[in-house]
Amino acid sequence: MTKPESPRELLPLTPPVFHILLALAEEERHGYGIMQDVARQTDGALQLGPGTLYGCLKRMLATGLVEESDERPDPTLDDERRRYYRMTAFGKRMVRAEAKRLAGAVTVAMARLAGESA
Amino acid sequence: MTSEINPMGGFCRIYSVLLYAYPAEFRRQYGRPMEQLFRDRCRDVARRPGGLTLLRFAGQVMADWLRTTIRERAAAWPAGPKPTMRSSVTEWAGTLLVYLFATATLVQAYVVPTGSMEGNLLIGDHILVDRMVYADPGPLGRHILPYRPVERGDIVAFLYPEDPRATYVKRIVGLPGDRIRLENGQVVRNGRRLIEPYVQHTANQPDSYRDNFPLAPEYFTTPRGRDMFQHHVRNGEVVVPTGMLFALGDNRDNSADSRYWGFVPRENVVGKPLLVYWSYDAPTADLQEWTLDHAIDVARHFFTKTRWKRSFLVPRSQRAEEVGGAQ
Repeated sequence: MTKPESPRELLPLTPPVFHILLALAEEERHGYGIMQDVARQTDGALQLGPGTLYGCLKRMLATGLVEESDERPDPTLDDERRRYYRMTAFGKRMVRAEAKRLAGAVTVAMARLAGESA
Repeated sequence: MTSEINPMGGFCRIYSVLLYAYPAEFRRQYGRPMEQLFRDRCRDVARRPGGLTLLRFAGQVMADWLRTTIRERAAAWPAGPKPTMRSSVTEWAGTLLVYLFATATLVQAYVVPTGSMEGNLLIGDHILVDRMVYADPGPLGRHILPYRPVERGDIVAFLYPEDPRATYVKRIVGLPGDRIRLENGQVVRNGRRLIEPYVQHTANQPDSYRDNFPLAPEYFTTPRGRDMFQHHVRNGEVVVPTGMLFALGDNRDNSADSRYWGFVPRENVVGKPLLVYWSYDAPTADLQEWTLDHAIDVARHFFTKTRWKRSFLVPRSQRAEEVGGAQ
């Protein structure tokens, strides 16, 4: 994987990447925790399968959006060790930028569609 | 791993084999956490039972698998030195192999023709059998492939020893070395009575052969059954020899099983029922093979005779409780 020339090239983030970053915004999580949180964020609309989730994480690690934290068991699940992920400072910048971009798009949409719904 | 029996264990095993469709590098990096994630999802699904939940889950997983195996293969392509035609062909061959053959060799469709497992499996249940779980891949393969030995309480599909063209589904009650007898319809294994929550008794007439086993062969005991009586009964108990299993139907009073036709050779075991994918209310004779009459019947009554509630049911292995000392 090559690092992008400039962070702008990463935008727009794909929905899975965007939601995975949001899931890691407050705390580090393991794969299953990320999957559950993304389902919560999107009201169940986005169910990340194992292949999609770890494929995204692989690319996000390569571009430096997230990093591996450590491997430890989750006390609320079984005693198996799980790999945890956390967001990097760069990841935080990118998710902010993406949120801003989306907010801008929503503002435009609201303005243009306001007349229609009335 | 928890010690409780995971009803979705079969799916986890299949998934771990499906992972071989990913590039080796990706599998090495993420194979284990992906299996973990899949198992966690299975647990969620098992908590909210119902055909639709399971169906949606299976659809999601298959779509995810198809999409991402292709994506990861494509991503792995330009990595490293310039790939030769040959290396890329061998890389993709692995994926294609899993696509084409894995599903066929891993799973087999099978229909339950008799009521001997009634209570858990009904006549007309079309089931998928996990063919891999009991197939010993050898000392080396055991570390790679999911495999586990046959255990007491397992529901198992096997080739009927008296006629290998027929496949039977029964529950394993005795392993090699176990001493088995029945007292008033209750199994006594190695001197301890079994409380078998999965068994149903339907007969109101006692039958000394059936309920107090083993007494003496009857006219309906098959040749293999007679052999069992001749060579493997000691002190009023059947002793299961090496390489053999003792299997009984859950519908204990109406089941032709090891009591009548003897032991199941270990190599006759085909696999373990995974799930009921279609349950159709039809008489035994119609289920043996597809006749024109049966096809017409299915066409006319598909919606009314399909037992929708049984779709995607997962048959569970259950352990019997053992009580008391020797008696």
